[in-house]
Amino acid sequence: MPVWTSANPRIAALAALLCLVVAGNSPPAAGFSVAALEQRFDNGLLVVDGRIDYSLTATATEALENGVDLVISQRLSLERPRWWWRDVEVVSQQRRYRLAYHAMSRRYVLNRLASGESRSYRSLDALLTRLGTIEAWPVIGRDRLDDQQTYRLRFETELDVEALPRLLRTVAWASDDWQLRSEPATLEVRP
Amino acid sequence: MSGLPRQAIVRILLSVLLILSLYLLSAATENSSRFGRLYLWLLLINGVVLVVLSGLIINNLQRLVRSFRARETGSRLTLRLMALFVVLAVLPGLVVYGFSMQFLQRGVDSWFDVRVENALEDALALSQASLDQRMRDMQQRLEEAARDLADVSSDMAPITLGDLRARTGASELTLIGENGRIIAASSMDTDSILPHRPEESILLQLRQGRPYVGLDPIENAGLHIRALVRAPGPDGPGNTRILQGLFQVSPRINDLADEVETAFSEYRELAYLRGPLKDSFILTLSLVLLVSLLFAVWSAFYLARRLVAPVSRLAEGTRAMAAGEYGTQLPPAGNDELGFLVRSFNDMSRRVADVRDAARQSQALVESQRAYLETVLGRLSSGVLALGRDGTLRTYNQAAEDILSVPLHEATGQPLSALVERFPDFSPFVEQIEAHPHGAEGEWRAELSLDTREGRRSLICSGAMLPGGAEGGGEVIVFDDVTTLIQAQRDAAWGEVARRLAHEIRNPLTPIQLSAERLQHKVGNRLSGEEAALLQRSTDTIIHQVEAMKDMVQAFSEYARPPVLELQRVDLNALVQEVAELYRGQAAQASIRTDLDEHLPGLEADAGRLRQLLNNLIRNALEADDGGACEIVVSTRRGTGRHAGCVELDIEDNGPGFADAMLDQLFEPYVSTKPRGSGLGLAIVKKIVEEHNGSISARNVEGGARLSVRLPTGEKGE
Repeated sequence: MPVWTSANPRIAALAALLCLVVAGNSPPAAGFSVAALEQRFDNGLLVVDGRIDYSLTATATEALENGVDLVISQRLSLERPRWWWRDVEVVSQQRRYRLAYHAMSRRYVLNRLASGESRSYRSLDALLTRLGTIEAWPVIGRDRLDDQQTYRLRFETELDVEALPRLLRTVAWASDDWQLRSEPATLEVRP
Repeated sequence: MSGLPRQAIVRILLSVLLILSLYLLSAATENSSRFGRLYLWLLLINGVVLVVLSGLIINNLQRLVRSFRARETGSRLTLRLMALFVVLAVLPGLVVYGFSMQFLQRGVDSWFDVRVENALEDALALSQASLDQRMRDMQQRLEEAARDLADVSSDMAPITLGDLRARTGASELTLIGENGRIIAASSMDTDSILPHRPEESILLQLRQGRPYVGLDPIENAGLHIRALVRAPGPDGPGNTRILQGLFQVSPRINDLADEVETAFSEYRELAYLRGPLKDSFILTLSLVLLVSLLFAVWSAFYLARRLVAPVSRLAEGTRAMAAGEYGTQLPPAGNDELGFLVRSFNDMSRRVADVRDAARQSQALVESQRAYLETVLGRLSSGVLALGRDGTLRTYNQAAEDILSVPLHEATGQPLSALVERFPDFSPFVEQIEAHPHGAEGEWRAELSLDTREGRRSLICSGAMLPGGAEGGGEVIVFDDVTTLIQAQRDAAWGEVARRLAHEIRNPLTPIQLSAERLQHKVGNRLSGEEAALLQRSTDTIIHQVEAMKDMVQAFSEYARPPVLELQRVDLNALVQEVAELYRGQAAQASIRTDLDEHLPGLEADAGRLRQLLNNLIRNALEADDGGACEIVVSTRRGTGRHAGCVELDIEDNGPGFADAMLDQLFEPYVSTKPRGSGLGLAIVKKIVEEHNGSISARNVEGGARLSVRLPTGEKGE
């Protein structure tokens, strides 16, 4: 749809309004990608390690450095496939991080929203590297899994457009610069 | 009209939505944060209204185009009004839009002042500068502490670090090994188990020999100064460790710095969002304007239709009136001038219908009177002719046609003289009328005789002018057939004469005859010779003449005899055959031919009188012989037309015909052109005919004369 790739956000926003299509209708951008995803059992617990390449667009970076906080969510789910119906979602977890720029200290702050844990970084790349490093994300106890069953781990991450300031949302809905999400990465899990 | 409430509901709903959207816009423009909250609602409401209005307008346009193509009444006017309304609504709207856009661009830009931005940046820089000094102090303190750790082994480091932390005022001191592993740490916050680990790039910088100091915003703990310096170990310079210190900024400075940071961030964010903000305002304004214009266009359709509807109905009503549909009533159209026009039209239509009804009633009355008049005229025995001012025949009654025996219907609309060429006998009547030209005299009266197919007729005519102006006027001619009347008068007179003559003559005849016979008887024997012969001849003459006079008196008495008929069913054809056969034997030179209608109806008549009638007629025809071969044709036929109830008998001879002067008196007694005729034959014939309620006429035909007798059968005609 050429309208969505238009460089003019005004026209794109108007088109978006006229179509009354509000979200989730743009093709995924190549900003986020899952570079590696591994699963292992550690002390009877299924954990996931991974590495995600986060690369913000210039527009998003500019917004961040101009005081606009960005929220990136990571979603990990374990599904049990079924041939005769939709897959069963055994467990689903989400981590949300807020990215902010602290002008006084000239540092980029990464804040995990659920725990309030916060770290600051001298560079955005350092922050993104840390954000993209997943170490032992606990998923589920092994005892809760059926040995005879094969499971599928699904991981995806995206920039949360809904968390943007409202004024920016309309533009973000219609602009590829803000459509940052990874292709879902999957892993097969055999207990 | 059933659609009106639904339309009204839609209109009210859209109006409310429009007003709500305008209110939201107004509320949103008061500040940007509210705008952000209301923005979605604005878009949603306006989007819905936009779609609905677009649909309505498209629907209206389609209807308008359809009606325009179908050339429906009022579609052109609706189109023109529509165009006018749209131009009136759109042009000012666009002008306002242009000004609003300009104002919006400048207005939003004016919120962001370069001086404010510079001031905020300066404040930030000032804060950073003020913290820089403190950071350098903290770095020096940390370097001093690092020197104190030079002789402290890793095992003793935790104890020493606690003392150093108390001495330097740091909130956290961490000793990190060359490999980046934490050797020991001391923290003011006893809840925190893990020390704040520096990032790799800083460690790399330290390994390169450059100390690090900087601000570090820590969540829920405020702004801290993070400093990292190299701390030589007891094992020599080859085993360098890193000492990291976190120093809490004083609460006062922390709050101030936080406020500066917050203000700066918000301003930067707002400045960054200026573009989207303007775009959103413009988009909203455009939407509201678009919706307003569409609403105006839609309303223009409604208004145009509402304005044109009474005019269209008026046009249709006028067309209906022109087509003759009087009394058309239009629905009321309010109390304005259009409503007045509609009411006036309704009044006019009603009155025209009333007038039409009155005219119809008048026409019906006129027709009724005309029919009445025609009936009266039709029943009149007198003939009536109405002539126009120019002498053309306008109307007549049946009696006129019967009396004149000419097809008057052929002369309707033409002068009567148009018939003269075909009916020359009709000319005396025409001449009589033309002799009294219209307007020359008021009324006139005249008598005339007219030859018709039915015989010669005596007419009494009178003419009078008709009232009327230029359109009316003309002349009415009334005439009566007095032939029968005159004849009756003559018959009566002659009957009286005959009766007296018979009475006066019959009495002396017998004594004369007896005297002559006695004279012959008494004197004849005494005379001789010539005297006796003379006496004989004289007395014979007297006796013969007396006989002749007796016959004449008998004839007179018969003529004067009152009618005593013995009516019975008579077959006229048989009677004709019988009488004709009688004459065929007597008159050798005469040729009597019969042409009889086989389907002739019977007659209720006196057979003896009819036989006498036939005798007289045939004898009359035979006596008309002028010395040549006498041919007589006796024909019978059933009457046709207005004579359908009659039997017609014609006797035609090839004699010299009747003298013109005699035609009027042909059936009068004692009128005869024959040397031996008594003059009573045809008079008796006429009397017999009249006794049977019939009619007789005589006329000359080519090569002879014809006597026509018409006798009623007593049956109803066809």
